Amino acid sequence: MTERFIECGAQLFLLLALAPLVTGAIRTLKARLQTRRGPGIIQPYKDIFKLFRKGMVIPETASWIFAATPWVVFFSTILAGLMIPMVAADAPLGLFGGALAVIYLLGLGRFFLALSGLDTGGSFGGLGSSREMTISALAEPAMMLAIFTVAIGAGSTGLTEIAGAAIGQTWRFLAPAQMFAFAALALVLIAETGRIPVDNPATHLELTMIHEAMILEYSGPYLALVEWAASIKQLVLMTLLINCFWPVGLQPTWFGFGALIGIGWLLAKLLLLSCAIVLLETVNAKMRLFRVPELLAVAFTLGSLALVSTFLF
Amino acid sequence: MQFGERIVTLMAALVLVLQIAVVAQRWIVTHIRIFAIQSFFLAMIAATIAWFNHAPHIYAAAGLTLVVKVILVPIFLERLVVRMDIREEIKPIVNVPLSVVISGGLTLLGYLVAESFHKPDEPGLGHNELAVAISLFLIGFFTMINRRKALTQVLALLSLENGLFLAAISLTYGMPLIVELGILFDVLVAAMVLGILVYRIRETFESMDVSRLRRLRG
Repeated sequence: MTERFIECGAQLFLLLALAPLVTGAIRTLKARLQTRRGPGIIQPYKDIFKLFRKGMVIPETASWIFAATPWVVFFSTILAGLMIPMVAADAPLGLFGGALAVIYLLGLGRFFLALSGLDTGGSFGGLGSSREMTISALAEPAMMLAIFTVAIGAGSTGLTEIAGAAIGQTWRFLAPAQMFAFAALALVLIAETGRIPVDNPATHLELTMIHEAMILEYSGPYLALVEWAASIKQLVLMTLLINCFWPVGLQPTWFGFGALIGIGWLLAKLLLLSCAIVLLETVNAKMRLFRVPELLAVAFTLGSLALVSTFLF
Repeated sequence: MQFGERIVTLMAALVLVLQIAVVAQRWIVTHIRIFAIQSFFLAMIAATIAWFNHAPHIYAAAGLTLVVKVILVPIFLERLVVRMDIREEIKPIVNVPLSVVISGGLTLLGYLVAESFHKPDEPGLGHNELAVAISLFLIGFFTMINRRKALTQVLALLSLENGLFLAAISLTYGMPLIVELGILFDVLVAAMVLGILVYRIRETFESMDVSRLRRLRG
């Protein structure tokens, strides 16, 4: 029992500490690829600490949703993060939920974020909320189909079982079902984390914003919580992608020397995925908004093909 | 043999993904290049089958596909596009997300049809590649109906022919070499005749839109 608490605490610490690092790494890699120097890898940490010390300005027309959303988003994302296998194949809260719980917890956070965008009464918030809901309405089925594909292969929707089933079979990744599911989930990762073909995370033009438009009215500690939660969501989705399909280096438990090896493998895999994301961001331009459903339709078709392939291939 | 089958199944899956990507394309040049990559993978599939089954006559089919469909036809078509100065996007009749989902449905249909060919005890590649081939065929047909301009319709016809090639390779280790030669020569000549015809159509009607050809009536 106490081991569970320690595991939870360790994974919680890892989630909180690693998320801004991943964001900073992606920004730095992108800057280097564009022959800039970038703001530095630890800049997101500095931003979060700065925001916690600042004062807040809350619109008068905002209701309790505006105040509740940062907490809901933060805690639901952390809860989802505790249910995925990061270092050990055994997720700390794995008994409480599997793949579906993760998807729905992230969906809960997104729901509240969209509501808070509408809550302030500003037009940009409503714009961001409607765009975010359009994209997620198309991306979630694709994500679910891809997750169900790996779940069928593992015989359960528990992420521990999914990661465990893929350990030890090196050629498994080359099966068409796994490849289609990986491609679908990668496209959904780009849509959900708001990366360049879908949404520019560094834009300052409100008309092009999707995620930032929803959080435009937040400031101070609330903004720190929401931004931290966004980085944690990115880390959760990236870890989900790499550990469902390539669980090399997943240790049996958190305890012992193996945990350090597991953390090392996790960092290496995250670095690899970050490089891929940065390459994709640098090579592509942001898609026009009415083209995003086309990309997500391809993701959806790939996901359904993946699901069908497990039966027919 | 197990390894060879896996590699071939992997490449067949890639070919299928490329075909679905073609349905979502808006630029003709990208369409041509994806067709070239798809034909390259088909040639690789043929070469892998020839390697693992010690059937050297398939190398000839693979080589012919490589020369004609990966190099000659795409270069010719790209030159045609440059010469005709085509700058517009491909505007399909059914919008892109729906046509992508329809292609997914057609793939499912192809899988179901190929199931009835599945004989686990028979040696040979099995029904995976046949499923992909039938899906390529169906999606090629659908893409051909879905396009307005003659050039894009013929590109879809070419990918349909790719599906035929894959079906032949997967069922019977290729057709007789004479038939292969005939088909590939057909493809080359079709592309060239298209080049001349499309130019003429554009000159006469100021557009490649084939629905304009009906104005000859009345």
